[in-house]
Amino acid sequence: MNGTSALAELACEQFEMPPRRPAIAWRFAISIADTDQLRHLLAQCALGDRRAFETLYRSVGPRLHGVALRFMGRADLAEDVLQESFVRIWNNAARYQPQLSAPLTWMINITRNQAIDQLRKQRDRPLSEMEQDALPDAGPSPAEQLSSAREASALRRCLDSLDGMQRQSISVAYFQGLSCAELAEHLAAPLGTVKSWIRRGMERLRRCLEA
Amino acid sequence: MNYQTPALRRALAADYAIGLMSTAARRRFEQLLLDDAALRAELAQWQDSLASLTAAVPEQAVPERVWHAVTARIEPQVLHVPEKRPWWTWLRLTVAVCSVALLVFIGALYNRDDARYRATLLSADAQPALKVEAHENYLQVEPLTLAAVDPSRSLELWAIAPDGKPISLGVIPAGGKGKVELSAAQKALIGKPIALAVSLEPKGGSPTGQPTGPVLYQGALTAL
Repeated sequence: MNGTSALAELACEQFEMPPRRPAIAWRFAISIADTDQLRHLLAQCALGDRRAFETLYRSVGPRLHGVALRFMGRADLAEDVLQESFVRIWNNAARYQPQLSAPLTWMINITRNQAIDQLRKQRDRPLSEMEQDALPDAGPSPAEQLSSAREASALRRCLDSLDGMQRQSISVAYFQGLSCAELAEHLAAPLGTVKSWIRRGMERLRRCLEA
Repeated sequence: MNYQTPALRRALAADYAIGLMSTAARRRFEQLLLDDAALRAELAQWQDSLASLTAAVPEQAVPERVWHAVTARIEPQVLHVPEKRPWWTWLRLTVAVCSVALLVFIGALYNRDDARYRATLLSADAQPALKVEAHENYLQVEPLTLAAVDPSRSLELWAIAPDGKPISLGVIPAGGKGKVELSAAQKALIGKPIALAVSLEPKGGSPTGQPTGPVLYQGALTAL
């Protein structure tokens, strides 16, 4: 493994970094807006480069932690999800397909899937009384989350183009990982209606984001 | 179902991306994904759109313990498992343990010191007076009801073979309790059908090599 990563670093120095970066820079976080850099770090992880993994962790950790906390609503559960997510990112880095998705999207999806798995497990077993007491006051509701998401300008315009129930059903489905039936129950609406809210809302959202 | 309809493919990918499908439907869709690059691309676009829903979620500082937990899990062979010892280490250890066990066993055999023959010598009035146990290299003598012996005299132990001639086995320690060491010739007698006898002799034993005083006690030596 060491041989591989040493080779990878050598390859970097020789072929990919004409403006030579000091090696120490790898220790620090990079901007998560730098998609090329994230993609490069993932490729290095796929080769077993632990330093690249640490840089990746320092860079996207706070972002994924925020996402995990939004899903789980509890600090301890969010940390578990974050830990599992990074283990998966490391183990699956070689399966990341850059032509399919942005690196951050890929990592957010891993975190979301992990969070939803945990949420489903929690829903499947009743909370003990102690856990009930330990639950934080209801965090931001999905609607509030979405309204804060609307602050992000590109998204804002698109979400505004959805009607209220489309917006709400998408955000509940996305952030809570509810099945269709659970979602219908949650929103107190017929199954078919909920499905069409989501389908139409998603279509409109996507067309708008692509525009 | 015709998965080739663009509208249906798009809708299915959307359902899958947001997570509305039942488990069975998810499995079917994942099977389709395996062979269908265009469907994978369709799905990826939905996932990108949905991931943008998290764009405004604030970042959270990550406690250092999470990093430690992650590294512990991705390098378990370094952090948790002791380095594997080469097989000959175990072989050497096994040989050493076996050798020690063998030595202890042989030593135990070698040092076995159980009494093999015993005689209870009786006085003239048939009272048990002296117990003699024959070990490999010595006789252990113990008084039962031994008459007092004048300090200027000694009790001497004799082996009396079937042909009748007494052979001295040595002087019994004063007080009657103790060991009488055996020579090689004396050892050869033990185990033969002999009787033991004790005579009263001058201090230090008979000067002639044959009993000179009265025989006080006698009895047969029998195997245990």
